[in-house]
Amino acid sequence: MKTNPRLSAIVAIAASMTSMLAVQAAMAQDGPIDSITPVTEEMLLNPPDADWLMWRRTYDGWGYSPLEEINKENVDELELAWSWGMSPGGRTQETPLVHDGVMFIQNADHRIQALDAATGDLIWEYQHELPDDVNPGGERSKAIFGDNLIVATRDAHIIALDIKTGQLVWDQQVADYNKGFAFSSGPLVANGVIVQGMTNCSNAQPGGCFFTGHDVDTGEEIWRVNTIARGDTPEGNSWNGVPLESRHGASAWITGSYDPEQNLIFAGVGQPYPWNVEIAGLTPPSSDPNVTNEALYTNSTLAIDPNSGELKWYHQYLATDSLDLDYVYERMIIDDMLVTTGKIGIIEAIDRKDGKWLWAKETVPQNVVLSIDQETGEKEINPDVIPVIGETTFNCPADPGGRAWQATSYSPRTGALYLPTVEFCSNTTVNPLDPGQIYTGGGLQTYSRVEHPDGDGNIGQVRAVKLSDQSDMWEYRQYAPVTTSTLPTAGGVVFVGTLDRKLIAFDDETGDVLWESGKLSNSLESFPISYEANGKQYIAVVANFGNGLGRLQSLTPDVKLPPNNPVTLYVFALPD
Amino acid sequence: MPFAYAFQRLAAVPLALAMIALLIGPTVAQEAEFDAVPFADGQWEIGRRLDESQLRYCVDKRDPAWEVAAAIADAIASGLLLEPQRHVVESDIVVEDVTKVYARMLKHCDVHMGFKLIPEGYGSWISVTRAYYDTQYVFVTADPDLQRLADLPPGRAIGATVGTSAHIRLVSYLSALPAERRWPAYPYGTNDLALESLLDGVVDVALVWAPNLWAKQRQDPAYANLHVIDSTPLPPTTLGVGAIVLSDQKFLRNAIDEAIVALSADGTFANLLESYEFPATVVP
Repeated sequence: MKTNPRLSAIVAIAASMTSMLAVQAAMAQDGPIDSITPVTEEMLLNPPDADWLMWRRTYDGWGYSPLEEINKENVDELELAWSWGMSPGGRTQETPLVHDGVMFIQNADHRIQALDAATGDLIWEYQHELPDDVNPGGERSKAIFGDNLIVATRDAHIIALDIKTGQLVWDQQVADYNKGFAFSSGPLVANGVIVQGMTNCSNAQPGGCFFTGHDVDTGEEIWRVNTIARGDTPEGNSWNGVPLESRHGASAWITGSYDPEQNLIFAGVGQPYPWNVEIAGLTPPSSDPNVTNEALYTNSTLAIDPNSGELKWYHQYLATDSLDLDYVYERMIIDDMLVTTGKIGIIEAIDRKDGKWLWAKETVPQNVVLSIDQETGEKEINPDVIPVIGETTFNCPADPGGRAWQATSYSPRTGALYLPTVEFCSNTTVNPLDPGQIYTGGGLQTYSRVEHPDGDGNIGQVRAVKLSDQSDMWEYRQYAPVTTSTLPTAGGVVFVGTLDRKLIAFDDETGDVLWESGKLSNSLESFPISYEANGKQYIAVVANFGNGLGRLQSLTPDVKLPPNNPVTLYVFALPD
Repeated sequence: MPFAYAFQRLAAVPLALAMIALLIGPTVAQEAEFDAVPFADGQWEIGRRLDESQLRYCVDKRDPAWEVAAAIADAIASGLLLEPQRHVVESDIVVEDVTKVYARMLKHCDVHMGFKLIPEGYGSWISVTRAYYDTQYVFVTADPDLQRLADLPPGRAIGATVGTSAHIRLVSYLSALPAERRWPAYPYGTNDLALESLLDGVVDVALVWAPNLWAKQRQDPAYANLHVIDSTPLPPTTLGVGAIVLSDQKFLRNAIDEAIVALSADGTFANLLESYEFPATVVP
């Protein structure tokens, strides 16, 4: 192969300058970035206690920290260690990642930053330029593998940045953002493959969403699993006879879990669009005996081989959903069970080997499911709550869900699940939503959210449920919605954030409130984490309005939040 | 144009007040009610506008009727003795949430043309003007022998642009029919996709917004043989089309409403629609 001498010279000079800059940076710095190590497969399988390497810290999706310096006895001494202002505006539901004392965050405007996790000092930052017509918004999660931080973007790219320098390593566009495709959660690296779910698959992209597998070194797509079943199969014929180009939804908007023993990704799929089943063409049921209308694979768990992209099995929790009641959230691998909770607030376990349904446990008051078949998990839906054109129906919970994207956690210390929940209902009306020629998005149903008629005025809860017998261990109730994931730790403490700007620490066995932060800068709608840097344990949480359960702000109008949506990362620790 | 002259005189007093209102500008610094008022990135840096002698309006090239809407906006500006300042939105994004308009209006325009007048179809941050024309959703077919929807045999498919007023009316009607008399109704994400499904033979009839069919037939000969059929047994679904302003621009909206009334009455709008051979009627 011929080489251009002039080009070679330029490359050599550039390489030399880069090296010089790197050396200068190394000489100028004496921080954790200098000793940061590549993240190996072994680390992902068994993360160091000090690190938070993926969305829920471990492949099993527990969201549990094994750190115990902060414990029941001393948590009331927690104080602010440092804070960092993030880009204002946009929506973000951030999970910081930490490795070797370096914290990685993604701002809503796609400024990605590395901070010294002990001091909060900026190490590097990288700006992914979003197109002007793409709304800024954060991603719920990221991944680290090898020397790369792997980030999904709102304009449907996956990019890799060097964890030491923030330099772009590769950039792959997965789909066309003009058709609405977007990522709102980040990838998971499993057995050397990047697995990523696509979201926002409504009107403009018939055929629904998908999971993709990508080469970890280049980002090149190696497989794709469609989340809307197709073809002349029982699954493909589950859309009431409507053609593929008339099937919408099935967004894969939450990162999954990974079972290394079976080499399987478990990930959730959202509901069909539009929500109203008459408008979606799913009812009235077709008279064709070969056609059904449960709309697979919506509201299901998919078990996917991360290397081949083969769909091994699926389990659907809610067929023919008409109320935006996603079953898309975290999948926790606990013993032989795969545990998740949909928006209805019903905790469900299936067998992680084959997807066979095992048990269910109700939490928040709901009037959607009348009964559950104890063999199959099939649900009998209350016909009175199914929205009908020309009528207003009453359903509990409403569309944000009795639980939303705020993840449930599991503590092996107590054997308990910790669920952030909310109690409320909705008067639901089918509406045409075609006000402008272009601006035709939306779900075609209006949810007028109201308190539960039998409620005590406390909309927010944290529920601790003993997994062994699904018994209630404790329940905390407060007026304002609970708006972060739960964070249980080995110190016997469970942290959670609220719409009224507080981070709260509970005793993991009793639910006693052990500590409350002062009022922070905004509501807390994010995923708190715990990590260790320089031998010290920290609790990190992002305060922001993320439009998840924040939508319930209309039920608590006296909870005032700043109008310009400031976003702040707070890090707490014990005094030195 | 005797009326235009008379209207300009008529408009002189309210115009002064309108200009004061325009000077005040959109009051975006109010406490947000979150979903009630959208958030526009950088909205706190958007200053008060100074070009009070202009009527700043937006039209969107993705709207098949955008050229007609621009001509109507120019006529309104003329009637209000304001200099029309056109901002043409150019984007390849296929479907957007209506809240996207908020940021655009803060930055570029006081009036955004091309919105269907649907009762309770808008958030409280939007105020809708009077309709400057009425148009319809239409049933379209490529079958030259099919003249009425009623003559479409049961079991033959209709492809409808999803979630429109006409789609909801169709679905509601079908739900009331016995199974053996129904037509399957397939939802399509856009009018273009519904029309494509008709050309592809996936459906026998498409239910689309009339201006979309008009635009397609002007641009692409492949659509030339499509024709509109009588909607019987369903009544026609007609909607007014107007403009939106931010809800705190009450005086501006009133001024535009008065201009629409006058320009409808003096035949200006009718002549405009006729010159484009546009499938709409002026609202009396």
